[in-house]
Amino acid sequence: MSAVGRAAGIELLKARRSRMPMFTLLAFSLAPLAGGFFMVILKDPELARRLGMISAKAQIVAGSADWPTYLGVMGQATAMGGMILFSFIASWVFGREYADHTVKDLLALPTPRRAIVLAKFVVVTGWAVALTTLIYLLALGVGAAVGLPSAPAGTFGQATATLAVTAALTLLLVPPVAFVASSGHGYLPPMGFAILMLILAQIVAATGWGEYFPWAVPALYAGMAGPAYAHMGLVSYALVILTGLAGLVGTLLWWKRADQMQ
Amino acid sequence: MDPAIQTDHLTKHYGDVIAVDDLSLRVHRGEIYAFLGLNGAGKTTTIRMLLGMIKPMRGEARVLGKRILPGEQGPWGAVGYLVERPYAYPELTVRENLEVVRRLRPGVEPQAVARIIERLGLGEYADRRAGTLSQGNAQRLGLAKALLHDPALLLLDEPANGLDPAGIVEIRRLLTGLAHEQGVTVFLSSHILGEVSRIADRIGIIHRGRLLRELDAAGLERERHRRLAIRARDPGATLVVLAGAGYPTELHPGGLIEVRDPAALTRPDDVATLLVNAGHAPTMLHVEEEALEQYFLRLVGADPEGDA
Repeated sequence: MSAVGRAAGIELLKARRSRMPMFTLLAFSLAPLAGGFFMVILKDPELARRLGMISAKAQIVAGSADWPTYLGVMGQATAMGGMILFSFIASWVFGREYADHTVKDLLALPTPRRAIVLAKFVVVTGWAVALTTLIYLLALGVGAAVGLPSAPAGTFGQATATLAVTAALTLLLVPPVAFVASSGHGYLPPMGFAILMLILAQIVAATGWGEYFPWAVPALYAGMAGPAYAHMGLVSYALVILTGLAGLVGTLLWWKRADQMQ
Repeated sequence: MDPAIQTDHLTKHYGDVIAVDDLSLRVHRGEIYAFLGLNGAGKTTTIRMLLGMIKPMRGEARVLGKRILPGEQGPWGAVGYLVERPYAYPELTVRENLEVVRRLRPGVEPQAVARIIERLGLGEYADRRAGTLSQGNAQRLGLAKALLHDPALLLLDEPANGLDPAGIVEIRRLLTGLAHEQGVTVFLSSHILGEVSRIADRIGIIHRGRLLRELDAAGLERERHRRLAIRARDPGATLVVLAGAGYPTELHPGGLIEVRDPAALTRPDDVATLLVNAGHAPTMLHVEEEALEQYFLRLVGADPEGDA
C-alpha cells in the first residue's frame, strides 16, 4: 500500500472513533429536513397556518412546492452549508493535530509529511462526498415523503449535476481552510476564516462582483442570486481551482518547511 | 563510524531570544548522553532541530550520518523520539495509538504493538482510551511509541516526567539495558542532574542555548566541590592549629570550619590526629560533597545560596 493509502487509513480510523462524522451528518441533514418543511408549507399555506406550523403573520416567499424548487434549494444549501461543514471537517482533520499536540508525532517518520497531508485531503474529500451523497439521498426521500408532484423528465439528472458541481466547487475551497488550520495551530482560526469568507462572499455578491470572488462562486452557481447569475465565465471556475491549488500547495509547504513548535 | 549525533555550530534565535547558540556536540553510538539544562535552556529546541522540525539559522546537524534538512526525509526509520509532554489521540485506545505509529512506520511487524505494551507495563490499559490515562501512563505510552520499532537512536525529552519513583527506576533500567546490551544510542534531556547522573555515560550541560560543559561520570566527581567540615569547642584556636600546619581554612558563621585543601580531603584522619595532638579534638569532622543539584546551579550561575 502506498504511503498516502496507509496514512489515509489512519485518518479514517481517527475520524471513525470521533463523534465528528455523526455530528456533520446531523448538521447537514437539517438542509433536506428544512427544505421538506418549507415544501409542506408552500403546498398549502392555509393548512400550515391552521396547524400552527407557521405564524398567522408569516410572509410566505414566492415559490412552489415542486421538485425543481426543492432540489434548487438543496443545491443552494450545499453551497452555503457545505462551505461551513466542509470547512469544519478540514478544520478538525488538520487543526486537531495542533490542538491535541499530536502533530509532532507525525513529523519525523518514514512516512513523508506530504503523504500525511495528502491523506488528510483524501479523507476530507471522501467525507464531504459521502456526506453530500447521503444528504442528497435523504433529500430525495424527504421530497417523496412530503408528496411533491411528479417532476418533468430530466429534472433529477439536471439537479444531480448541479448539486455535484456545487459540492465540487465548495470542496475546492477547502484547502485554504486546511492551510489556516495548520498555520493557525487549531480549530478556531480556520473556522473564523471560513465564516469571514462566507460573509465577504455575501457582500461581494451583493456588489455584483461575486463571480470574481471564489467563495461566492458555488452559491452563485447553485442559483442563490437567481438563474441569471448562475452562468459564469470560465474565469470564475479558474479562480476557484487556483484558490484550491494555492491552499493545497500552501498546506504542503507549511508542513514541510515551517518551524514546527507545537 | 560516524557519531550517532553530530552538531556543528547549531544556532537558533527567535527574534532577540537566543534558543540555541553555536552548539557543537558529538554523541557516540551506543552511549547514553544526557543533555542537562534548566527550563528554557534550549534542550527541546535542539531536539526539534535534530528531528528536522525546526530550521537552524546557522550550523548543521547530522543524525546517524545523515544531514538533517527540515521537511526532508531523515533516517527516521531508525530513530525513536519523545518531544516534550507526550500526547496521544484521546479518542483512540492505547493499542490503537500504537497501531497508528506502527502503520506510519512501514516494515514494523504487527506483533510489535503487543510486545511494547507488555514491555512498558501498559497491558492493563491497552484497551483504554488514551484520553483517560494518568500522566504516568501517558508518559509510558509516549515512550512505547518511541520504542515500538526497536530504533538505533532514541531522542527523549524529559523521559521521566510524570513517572512515579518505581517507574523512574524501571525506565532507567530499560534505557541502560538498551544502550549497554543492544547498542542503542540514547540522547535524553533533563533538568535533574541527580537523575541523569545515574544512567548517563556523558553529560552535556546547556545554559541559555550554549553548551557550558561536557563531562563523564568521573569528570562530574572531579568538578563537584568537596570540603572538610570541622566543628570544635574552640574554633579560633583550632583555626590557628590548622593554619600552622599549612591548611588554608575558612570560618563560617556558627563556628563551622571549612578546609578545601586536597591533602585534607584525601587524608582527613591526619587532620583529626593533628587537632587531637594539639588538644583541640574535633567534635565533628566530615568530608562533604557538593550535591549534584548545587553543582549544576553553581555551574549555570543560578545558585541563590552560593557554594556548598
